[in-house]
Amino acid sequence: MHSALSHFRIAGVAVTTGSVERDFIADGLAAGIDRAQLERVSAAVGLRKRLVAPAGVTALDLCEDAARRLLSALDVDPSSIDAVVFVTQTPDHPQPNDASLLHGRLGLSKAAMAFDLSHGCSGWVYGLHQAALLCAHGGAARVLLCAGDTLSRLTHPADRSVDPIFGDAGSAALVERTGVDAPWHFIFGTDGSAADVIAVPAGGARSPASESTKVVKRDAEGHGRCEENLRMDGAAVMSFTLREVPGAVKAALTAAGWKAPEACAFHQANRFVLSVLAKACGLDPASVPMDLTERFGNLSSASVPAVLAHAYGAALSTASLRLLACGYGVGLSWAAAAGPIGPCVCLPMLPLRR
Amino acid sequence: MNEAARLSALRKAVDVLTDASPDDRLAARPNWDSLAVLLVVTHFEHDYGVTVTGAQVRACATVRDLLALLPSSQP
Repeated sequence: MHSALSHFRIAGVAVTTGSVERDFIADGLAAGIDRAQLERVSAAVGLRKRLVAPAGVTALDLCEDAARRLLSALDVDPSSIDAVVFVTQTPDHPQPNDASLLHGRLGLSKAAMAFDLSHGCSGWVYGLHQAALLCAHGGAARVLLCAGDTLSRLTHPADRSVDPIFGDAGSAALVERTGVDAPWHFIFGTDGSAADVIAVPAGGARSPASESTKVVKRDAEGHGRCEENLRMDGAAVMSFTLREVPGAVKAALTAAGWKAPEACAFHQANRFVLSVLAKACGLDPASVPMDLTERFGNLSSASVPAVLAHAYGAALSTASLRLLACGYGVGLSWAAAAGPIGPCVCLPMLPLRR
Repeated sequence: MNEAARLSALRKAVDVLTDASPDDRLAARPNWDSLAVLLVVTHFEHDYGVTVTGAQVRACATVRDLLALLPSSQP
């Protein structure tokens, strides 16, 4: 689906990460894995450090911290926010949603709307589209878009195919209505027939958590996990990414009339995925930031705003850039967006202090 | 593209197969592991537009079996 929206802007972005550092090599050695093998994977895939949330800290906490820092930096009165869009796959509860809980924590207006949007690595672009819709056509002047996950909690330590990958982070972006006709072009796609490629099979209504869903089993490759853990078929995800994402990226750039973007904020799966994906999209790999996973881990829905904060914060403080944003993952789903960003406030990424 | 050209491309794309011959047994190659499987899947998708599963790659006994996953009409 192609959707064009105008008369909105991203006023600012902040990202708060987990505060516990994990080291790919050290963790692998502790798990009894050969150092040479670990270093081979580390170099080939781009896995080094990641930051995870300490016990008791959730995506809501991380996003609240990012939101408070952002609203303070922008000197925005919280009562002026008309809507909260909260993108997460790791909410605090089945009910109520994180958006309502954040609304309460921030003391927002009772006239505001607040809802969650369930998506992972493609989720920030989905959330931006919803926030933009509300500003462009929905009567909102200001929308707080939060996106964050604590996927490190969902993996099993005995599953080396996913456990070393994920970091935890929460993001906040303020989206505002403007009088300026500066269009963004969004391209969305879904392949629900392959939904089992990335999944947490148990813990929801279809298969409630029980003693049997906690039983750890080994797969054909020796990875251990239970039905309540996140599982991912890495090879299938790679194929899907290369098959679907380049077309969406090229369609967004074509719709925007750009030969090339000035800023590229791709979901940071890992350096290996991004290096191949950039080429498949016809982009100069040197123009695509791809170093976040080795610094912070795969941050799921927070990784696109993390690229803005980490790679473009200084530039965006004074300049407007043609931004290509792209996410892809659970669903399976993908989303690409091309539009102007900046000047705006992109705060430095910080670990949660508590 | 003939088998020699496909083998050459496979050797470039997969680090543990840089000196591989068609009859080499994959299980005997050092570091023939899940990363190597991912590299094969990526190479086939990116360079040929051919989707293969990790299970298909793991089921291959030899390098020739890997190349046979590519349709013969593939350029």
